[in-house]
Amino acid sequence: MSFEDWFRQDRLPHIYCAGCGNGTIINCTLAAVDAMGWAKEDTVFVSGIGCSSRAPGYIVTDSLHTTHGRALAFATGVKMANPKLHVVVFTGDGDLAAIGGNHFIHACRRNIDLTVVCMNNQIYGMTGGQGSPTTPRGCISTTTPYGSTEPAFDLSELAIAAGANYVARWTSYHVKELERAVKTGLETPGFSFIEALVQCPTNFGRRNKFRQVADQIEYIKAHALLKAKRDRLLEQGERIPEDMYVVGELMRRSRPAMGLAPTEVKP
Amino acid sequence: MKLAIDETRCKGCNLCTKVCPYKIFKEGKLPNLRGIVVPELDRPERCTNCRLYHLYGRQLCGVCQLTCPDQAIHWVEEEPYEPHKVAIEY
Ligand SMILES: Cc1ncc(C[n+]2csc(CCOP(=O)(O)OP(=O)(O)O)c2C)c(N)n1
Ligand code: SF4
Ligand code: SF4
Ligand code: SF4
Ligand SMILES: [Mg+2]
Repeated sequence: MSFEDWFRQDRLPHIYCAGCGNGTIINCTLAAVDAMGWAKEDTVFVSGIGCSSRAPGYIVTDSLHTTHGRALAFATGVKMANPKLHVVVFTGDGDLAAIGGNHFIHACRRNIDLTVVCMNNQIYGMTGGQGSPTTPRGCISTTTPYGSTEPAFDLSELAIAAGANYVARWTSYHVKELERAVKTGLETPGFSFIEALVQCPTNFGRRNKFRQVADQIEYIKAHALLKAKRDRLLEQGERIPEDMYVVGELMRRSRPAMGLAPTEVKP
Repeated sequence: MKLAIDETRCKGCNLCTKVCPYKIFKEGKLPNLRGIVVPELDRPERCTNCRLYHLYGRQLCGVCQLTCPDQAIHWVEEEPYEPHKVAIEY
């Protein structure tokens, strides 16, 4: 079997813009799910509202496409009602960190056995490019026409601080690493959070001097700092360049988790 | 195995031209019937997966397929005794 078998072939091609990174993240997530060998009947995909949140609609399993920001609330309900189900959440930066911010920190705090894949394009893609809580300082959006002046949220740091068991960040360029990270997230009991930086050529790239999709991919690739390298820089007391972001496995621990199937509960 | 791009799905983003270690995908020149400039394949028989899939019995590399946001890249079985071009690299 391959990840292609998880797509609803009748619904493809999807409606994402040419070069939109969301499709890549769906591929990587489905490849990881496929590698777990789970039955399609036992797997549920949940999402909120946004371009990223359209993902479950292209997947053959049962899914919930819920209201904006509430994907984690619905996913919590699914998991607590039937802990045997494997629940995977697709969400966007606006969906997860703006309107759904509270659900996010409390799902991390409760450490519910979910795997959450956030497609962070640093913008509200679906509604025309408004700034989101992760829009970097200086970036242009329709609500920050002179460049954003606010500091941005680091979603992975937020998840670590709030108590998630597994946290990793990769990008739409690092497809193999992302696939491996999602698989580790699926294997880890408790809340697993995988942040994937993606390009939104239509509403972010176009306004921020990335004329071609490939230009933004080059940027994403050039500004990714491996965690091991970051740690080495810190050890040597060197400064971390401000426009770089850390990629890699950022947290792995085993706090007590909620929503585990009875056989999985450890004494 | 033979590498193929599904022209009904490709949106011409050219991301595949950036990721293949052998640079098999080249930017296309002419728009197809849907008005999309689909990349061209440059000696696709060099692809790791094309050459070794049956020997190893599993998917190899596959970075282009994972990267393609539009699920347009796939491999098709070859007909028996299909003529092969042999690529010699120096
Ligand atoms: C309650 C509610 N408020 C606002 C909206 C409008 N809305 C739809 S999608 C969206 C932003 C989505 O941003 P994000 O989650 O980052 O997804 P993206 O499109 O960038 O993938 C907003 C504000 C809505 N649908 N429902
Ligand atoms: S608006 Fe942006 S996020 Fe939405 S489909 Fe287009 S490129 Fe993707
Ligand atoms: S990555 Fe996919 S959609 Fe983009 S040009 Fe290549 S084959 Fe077409
Ligand atoms: S599978 Fe790898 S080697 Fe083959 S075409 Fe794709 S990226 Fe190139
Ligand atoms: Mg977004």
